[in-house]
Amino acid sequence: MNKSGHRIKTIAKKEVVEFVRDWRTIVAIIIIPILMFPVLFIVFPILLESEAAELDSKNVQIEIQFNEYPDELIPLFNTTTTLITEVNTTFSTSLSDPLNDLERVRGMEIDAVLRLNYSEDVWYYSIIHLSTSESSSEAKGRILNALLIFENNITAERIDEGGLDVDNTLDPLRWDGDVTKADVATEGEQAGLILSLFIPLVLAIWTFSSAIQPSIDMTAGERERGTLEALLGLPCTRNELLMGKWLGVATITGVGVLLQIVGLLFAIGYLASSDFIGIPSLSLEAVILIILSIMLFAVMVVALELALAMRSHSVKEAGSILGPAIILIIFPALFTQVINLDGIESFWFSIPVINILLALRELLLDRVIFEHVMIWMITSILYASLAAYYAARQFKREDIVTTLS
Amino acid sequence: MTANNTLLRISNVKKNFSEVEALSGVSFEINSGEIVGLVGSNGAGKTTLLRLMSGVYTPTSGSVTLGDNTPVHEMRDNLGVVPESTGLYSRLTAWENIRYHSRLYGVDDKIAWKRTVKFAQSLEMEENLARYTKGFSRGMRQKTALLRALAHGPKVLLLDEPTAGLDITSARTVRALVAQIKQEGGTVVYSTHQLFEAQQVCDRIIIIHNGVVRADGSPQQLIKENNCASLEEAYVALTQEKARVRFEDSKSESGITKLWHKLFRPKTPKLIENAEVFEDE
Repeated sequence: MNKSGHRIKTIAKKEVVEFVRDWRTIVAIIIIPILMFPVLFIVFPILLESEAAELDSKNVQIEIQFNEYPDELIPLFNTTTTLITEVNTTFSTSLSDPLNDLERVRGMEIDAVLRLNYSEDVWYYSIIHLSTSESSSEAKGRILNALLIFENNITAERIDEGGLDVDNTLDPLRWDGDVTKADVATEGEQAGLILSLFIPLVLAIWTFSSAIQPSIDMTAGERERGTLEALLGLPCTRNELLMGKWLGVATITGVGVLLQIVGLLFAIGYLASSDFIGIPSLSLEAVILIILSIMLFAVMVVALELALAMRSHSVKEAGSILGPAIILIIFPALFTQVINLDGIESFWFSIPVINILLALRELLLDRVIFEHVMIWMITSILYASLAAYYAARQFKREDIVTTLS
Repeated sequence: MTANNTLLRISNVKKNFSEVEALSGVSFEINSGEIVGLVGSNGAGKTTLLRLMSGVYTPTSGSVTLGDNTPVHEMRDNLGVVPESTGLYSRLTAWENIRYHSRLYGVDDKIAWKRTVKFAQSLEMEENLARYTKGFSRGMRQKTALLRALAHGPKVLLLDEPTAGLDITSARTVRALVAQIKQEGGTVVYSTHQLFEAQQVCDRIIIIHNGVVRADGSPQQLIKENNCASLEEAYVALTQEKARVRFEDSKSESGITKLWHKLFRPKTPKLIENAEVFEDE
């Protein structure tokens, strides 16, 4: 290794060592990325399921007010968890008007009130409920389920009374055979489609956001702590300094993104066993191009963040610039999700940020289109070079040694 | 002192920051084996001059050369720099801080370690080399920075106010180390605004005032040439006009920042009006 390479390696190594020695960094770059997707895809659904089961077993109180007894409706409720009070009455106003039940439901004296008014072969109904109460919403849900079956039974009964076949009348159009067999996309391609909807988004946002802290720490932070001046007096050039620091930030960010992908694949592996999502089938060239696109994106993003942080007079200023700058990634990332890839115009692959995100989407679908690849690769190299040039200019500024703080 | 002995040559150096001229045509030479004190008030231009000598700044005009007229930024391996802020990484140990710099100088770890241990003994720092610098006192930080600047065996050591903020014992230890370096034939440029210290440590004193060299000679020479009883009197005689006050360069601020500052600048009461108010009260 030549002198320059040795210096760059020394700077990068020191940056990584110093950064890793802070336990908060370990949490930020290892624990959070590796746990994020498993928590989101595995723990969160389990939590939701247990919450749903808890709601199912919850006891709720329902009052049914009617002018004619709905004898076929009452048995449709599970009476072990649903306590029903029956009130025979007449209605003179709209059923949705809460009247005296307003205070009873709001005061949680009762969870919901079902009003049924039978008139000229039609059951009119309303449910007085409190949408902000979990019990009341659950009671309303149980009432609606029972009413749906009640309505279906009445419909079937009336069709039958009219001398028609119930199934043929209600379901005159039917899919024949296995729906999944009719989709000619392979399971791997389908998995790629699902992943292409969020992997580019996650990669882009995580790459940008996880590079913020190290970028600031290694530039404005060094400047503020007074360590930069000692460094600038050493024989290494400003470009070597920039490259060393870039390598340091890229390593830290790369580890974070890599661990996040490991967490994601683990979560997918778990979900794959439940047939929700599969492993995408990608060709070798698609995999290589995915890695290349991420690297080009990282070069651009990290160089830009280092430049903006170095330009700032203090850590506070750098934070207030780089924090909101994430919008530059989030908006294009969200926008890219809705762009239709079929017959997409080539110019989209030349727009900064969008080009890499679209490239990732296409590649995850295993679509390697030569024209698109050439456009995003050339433009990305151009943007990465411009960002690196801008960063180099900031590092060569004489005033970086001083700080306003 | 012969011309062959010249290590560092500062020739008609000017340094401007926007419209402010920090140094105005400074010229002098540093010879091998000399301990040269740069003395001046705050804002005189000492730090700017040291940064020019270490290659951190480039002169607006003139030149700073080392040895055979080589620009200093191409010969930085020959320099050891201790900036005022010391510039230590708190999450690295003292030795790791030293090793980081010596590696960037291209010096083998074993050689750097040998030199570090040698000077650490003089500074009573051997016990602290394996400790993180986070909890270091100002004196320990300064000593570590000195060890770091010496580890690669520089020809010239540039020290920016090395005893500022140190307790008496630590300051004495630092001064003793400088004396040891002199004995070993080393060259040191020592910036300070403490006259007694300059007199005690340096063979030669360069007085800088408002970016100009006002005097250059041994302490005895300066006293004699100015017909004064002490170096302090000589200094006062040489720097009679008011020292300029340097504000931070606002040129680097963006237009929006300047406008923002203008809008939210706190109002300062006029002194005369204030005085009247106080009198009334």
